Amino acid sequence: MANYFNTLPLREKLNQLGVCDFMDSAEFLDGVSALKGKKLVIVGCGAQGLNQGLNLRDSGLDVSYTLRKEAIEGKRDSWKNATENNFTVGTYEELIPNADVVINLTPDKQHTAVVNAIMPLMKEGATLLYSHGFNIVEEGMQIRKDLTVIMVAPKCPGSEVRAEYVRGFGVPTLIAVHPENDPQGKGLAQAKAYCVGTGGHRAGVLRSSFVAEVKSDLMGEQTILCGLLQTGSILSFDKMIEKGIDAGYASKLVQYGVEVITEALKQGGITAMMDRLSNVAKIKAFEISEELKDIMRPLFQKHQDDIMSGEFSRTMMEDWANGDKNLLKWRAETGETAFEKTPAGDVKIGEQEYFDNYTLMVAFVRAGVELAFETMVQAGIKPESAYYESLHETPLIANTIARKKLFEMNRVISDTAEYGCYLFDQACKPLLGDFMKKVDTDLVGKNFNEGKDGAVDNRQLIEVNEAIRSHQVEQIGATLRKAMTAMKAIKTA
Amino acid sequence: MDKPFVYIQDLNLGYRNKTVLKNLYWEMNSGESYAIGGKSGTGKTALAKAIASLVPFQGSIEINFDQQNKLPQEVLYVESWYQFKNLEGVANFYYQQRYTSLQANDTLTVHAELVNYGKEKGLHFDRVEPILEALGFATFASSQLIELSSGEHKKLQLVKALWLKPQLLIIDQPYTGLDTASRKNLNTLLDQVAAEGVQLILISNDTELPNSIRSFAEIRDGQLLKVDTLESAAVEIHLREIPDFLKESPVYSTQDIVKMVNVNISYGEKQVLKNINWEIKAGEKWLLQGHNGSGKSTLLSLINGDHPQSYANELYLFGNRRGSGESIWDIKQHIGLISPEFHWYFDPTATVWQSIASGFYDTVGLFQQLPYTKSTQVDELVAYFGLTEEKNELLTALPLGKQRLVLLARTIIKNPELLILDEPCQGLDQQQSKHFNQLVDELCSNGMTLIYVGHFESQLPTCIEKRILLEKGEVKVVESLNTEILS
Repeated sequence: MANYFNTLPLREKLNQLGVCDFMDSAEFLDGVSALKGKKLVIVGCGAQGLNQGLNLRDSGLDVSYTLRKEAIEGKRDSWKNATENNFTVGTYEELIPNADVVINLTPDKQHTAVVNAIMPLMKEGATLLYSHGFNIVEEGMQIRKDLTVIMVAPKCPGSEVRAEYVRGFGVPTLIAVHPENDPQGKGLAQAKAYCVGTGGHRAGVLRSSFVAEVKSDLMGEQTILCGLLQTGSILSFDKMIEKGIDAGYASKLVQYGVEVITEALKQGGITAMMDRLSNVAKIKAFEISEELKDIMRPLFQKHQDDIMSGEFSRTMMEDWANGDKNLLKWRAETGETAFEKTPAGDVKIGEQEYFDNYTLMVAFVRAGVELAFETMVQAGIKPESAYYESLHETPLIANTIARKKLFEMNRVISDTAEYGCYLFDQACKPLLGDFMKKVDTDLVGKNFNEGKDGAVDNRQLIEVNEAIRSHQVEQIGATLRKAMTAMKAIKTA
Repeated sequence: MDKPFVYIQDLNLGYRNKTVLKNLYWEMNSGESYAIGGKSGTGKTALAKAIASLVPFQGSIEINFDQQNKLPQEVLYVESWYQFKNLEGVANFYYQQRYTSLQANDTLTVHAELVNYGKEKGLHFDRVEPILEALGFATFASSQLIELSSGEHKKLQLVKALWLKPQLLIIDQPYTGLDTASRKNLNTLLDQVAAEGVQLILISNDTELPNSIRSFAEIRDGQLLKVDTLESAAVEIHLREIPDFLKESPVYSTQDIVKMVNVNISYGEKQVLKNINWEIKAGEKWLLQGHNGSGKSTLLSLINGDHPQSYANELYLFGNRRGSGESIWDIKQHIGLISPEFHWYFDPTATVWQSIASGFYDTVGLFQQLPYTKSTQVDELVAYFGLTEEKNELLTALPLGKQRLVLLARTIIKNPELLILDEPCQGLDQQQSKHFNQLVDELCSNGMTLIYVGHFESQLPTCIEKRILLEKGEVKVVESLNTEILS
C-alpha cells in the first residue's frame, strides 16, 4: 500500500490540507436523523468505544459491538464492558453483514488487519467510520468503492466524552469525509448525525479532512503535547535535584505543575497562563521562551517535514514490523528516569506556587505551543486545525501526567503518539544542553520573585504583553474557546 | 486549674466575603461534648472547620490534648458532604456514571479503602468490624466506592471516625442520609466512644442526640452562646403565591407514566433489583421507601433514563417501551429530579439563576441563552422561592437548605409531568424539611405526578397517597395510604 498523501498532486495535497471549517450550530438541526434506524456496529470496546456507544444509544440509535472471536471466547474486558452494559456483542461474521455503519475504534496498529477482515463482510453501500486518519492517509488503505468513509474524532479521552454527554454538553469534535469514498454523497450528513449522537455538536465541531487531521495530529502529539512535556518535565526535575532542591518537592512540582499551569492555558490561552506570573517573572518567561523557540525551531520543522513526507510513518511502521523493538526499549527507559522513580513528596504546594516556582515550565509551554502552531500553519495546515492539535490538547495530556507521571501519559496516548514522543525527546534533550546549564533554581524550584522588588519597565512590559496577545494562536483560540466555555474544569490535586 | 480542652479567643472568620464569626470567645472543658445549632448560614460549618484548622482564620484556637490519654491527639472533622476520588485522584464524577459498568475498576473497594485508612492511621482491622456490623455496612466490603449510595458514603465516613477515636471528633450533620435504625445505632456508638474519652462536637439541629451530649450552643450574630436546649431553627421564607405558569396542569400524553415488568438489574454477581413490577399512573403521588442500599436510587435511575441496563429490561416510560428509538433527553423532558447525588455533582460554576434555568434543558449547567418568556419564568420562580437577592450568587455559596430550594425550583421550572424527589430533605433540619414539604404539596396540587423518597414518616408531604417499599432489591409492599396515617 502506498502512502495516500504522496500519491496526490500538489494541488490536491494543498486542497485537502486546507479543509477547515468551524461549523455553525445550525448545521446540526437535523439531529441524529441521518442515522436513525440504521444499524451501528462498533469494532472494539475500550474507553472510546464503550463511551461513544453509550452516548449513541442514549441518543436513540441502534448500537452493537463486534469483537474478535478470541476476545469473546476469552471474556476479555472489552467483552465485559459491552455485555454488562447490555449491548449485543457478536463476531465480525455475525454483525458486520447487517451493519449500515461500521465504526472502527481499534488502535492504529490493528487497523490494516481489522479493515481487511471486515471489508469483505460489509454490505454494499455501507459506511466505514474512523476516529483517526492514519490508516487511510499514511498506510494508504484502499476501501471498496461502494463504501462511504468518514471520520469522527472527539478531541477528549473517552471518559470525558461520556461525562460531558450525560450532563447535557459534549466535547469538541473533528469530522471529515474521505473524498475517494463518498459515492452517494451521504458522508457529511452521517458524520454530523454521529456528532449529535455523541453530543459533540454542542461543544464545537471542526470540519477537516483525513489528510489535515493526520498531518496535524501527528505533529501536535510528537512535539508540544507529549514530546516537549516529557523533555521539559525530566530536565526540570534533574535540574532541581542537581541544585539540591528536596526530591519529594521536585517530584510533586513537576508531576502536578504542568496540569495547574495548563489549566490557565485551557481557560484563557497563552495570555491567561502568562498573566498568572508576576510582571518580572512574565518578562523573564517571555525572554527564555523566545530563546527556546529559536533553539527548538529546527527540530519542530524536522518533525513536520518527516510527517509530511511520510518518513515518520515509514520508520514507525518498520518498528511495528520489528515487533515494536524501539518502542518497547524507549518505554522501558522512560520508566527508569529519576523523576519517574521519585514519589511526589507529602508537601502542600499552593496553586499560585506552581506558577511562581515553576516559571521554566510556563516558558516551555509557551514556546512549544507557539512553535507547534506556527510550524503547522507554515506547512499549510489551517489555524483552527493547528489550534486543536496544539493548545487545546495540552491540558488534556498534562492531566495524565498529574495522574501518574510520564509512564501514565505514555500509556494513555496511542502507540503512534508515544513513538513520536520518544523521537522528539531524544533529539530535544541534547539540543537544550547549553540552555539548561544557565538555568538556576529561581526558574525552577524556588519562587522567582524572591529577593526582587518587582519593578519593571513599563514599555518593556507593554511590548511583551502585546507580543503574547497578538499571536495568531491567541486570536483563533479566543474564537474557538467561546464555543466550549461550558466544559468543566479539570480538577487539580 | 487545667486549661480548657478547646480555647477560642477573638476568632474572626469570613465566609465568601461575608464576616460570619466576630470576636468569638469559647471554652469547651475536658469531658464535655456539645451539640452546636443555629440557623442555616450562621457559620456552624465554618467554625467546625476552623477548630479542625482546615480554613484560615484570625484569632487563636488552642486545643489542649490530654497527654495521658492514649487516644490519638487529633481533631477529626467529618464533613456533611462527602467527596470521593477514583484511583487516579480525580474527584467529581458525574452522578450518572456510577451506573455504567466499566472494567477499569477505577475506584477502590470499601474494603481496600478501609485497609488503606487503617494502615495510614495505624489501626487494627479487627476493631473496625464491630462498627461495620453496627451500622449495617459489612455487606458493602467488596463494593466499589462509586457504587455506593449517598447514605452509604455517609456511613463509611462515620465508620472511619469511630474506628480512629480521635480526642476531638467533630461531625457536621451526623444523620445525613441515615435511616432510623442507623441513626439509633450511631448514637449508641457515639456514646461508646465518648465513654472511652472521645469528646464530641455535633453540628446539628436534630433533637434525637446521643446521651453523651449534655451541652448545647448556638451561633447568634457571630457569637457562640451556650444554651439549655437546641431549638430547631426556623427558616424565614415567606410563602408567596405560586406563579401562574405552574398552576397549569401538566399535559399528559398518556396515563401510563411508568410501567416496569419483571425488571432485574445486576452488577456482575451482585443483583440490586429483582423482578420489580411497578406501575405509576398520571397524577399519582408515590412514596418510595427502603433501607439504605435497598435499590431505591437504581430504581429511580431507570425512570430518569440514566441506567444503561434499562435497555435490557421491559420498561415503559410515558407510554413508550424503553429502547424503541427515544433518546434520554426525550425522557428527561417529562421529568424533574433531585437527589443527593445530583446535588453533589451539580455544576459548581453555576449561579442560582443559571441553575434554575438549566432545568428547562435538563442539563447540568446552562449552555444556552433563554428566550424571553422562559427567562421571565425563571425570575418569577426566583421571587416565589424568595431567592431574588441571591440570584446572581454561586449556588455553592448558599447554605445547604437554600441550595436544596434552588434545586427544587430547577426541577419544577418546566412544570414537568413527573416530579422525582429522592431524599430532598437530606441534611436539612426538621423545620427546613417541613417548609420544603409544604412547598412540594403546593406545587403538586396542579395534578403533577410525584415520586418521593423519604425515611421519616413525620417528614413527608401530605399529598402522598401510595407507598412502595423495597427490601434488598425486591418490592416488599405496595399499598394505598390513608392520609390520616401519615399526619
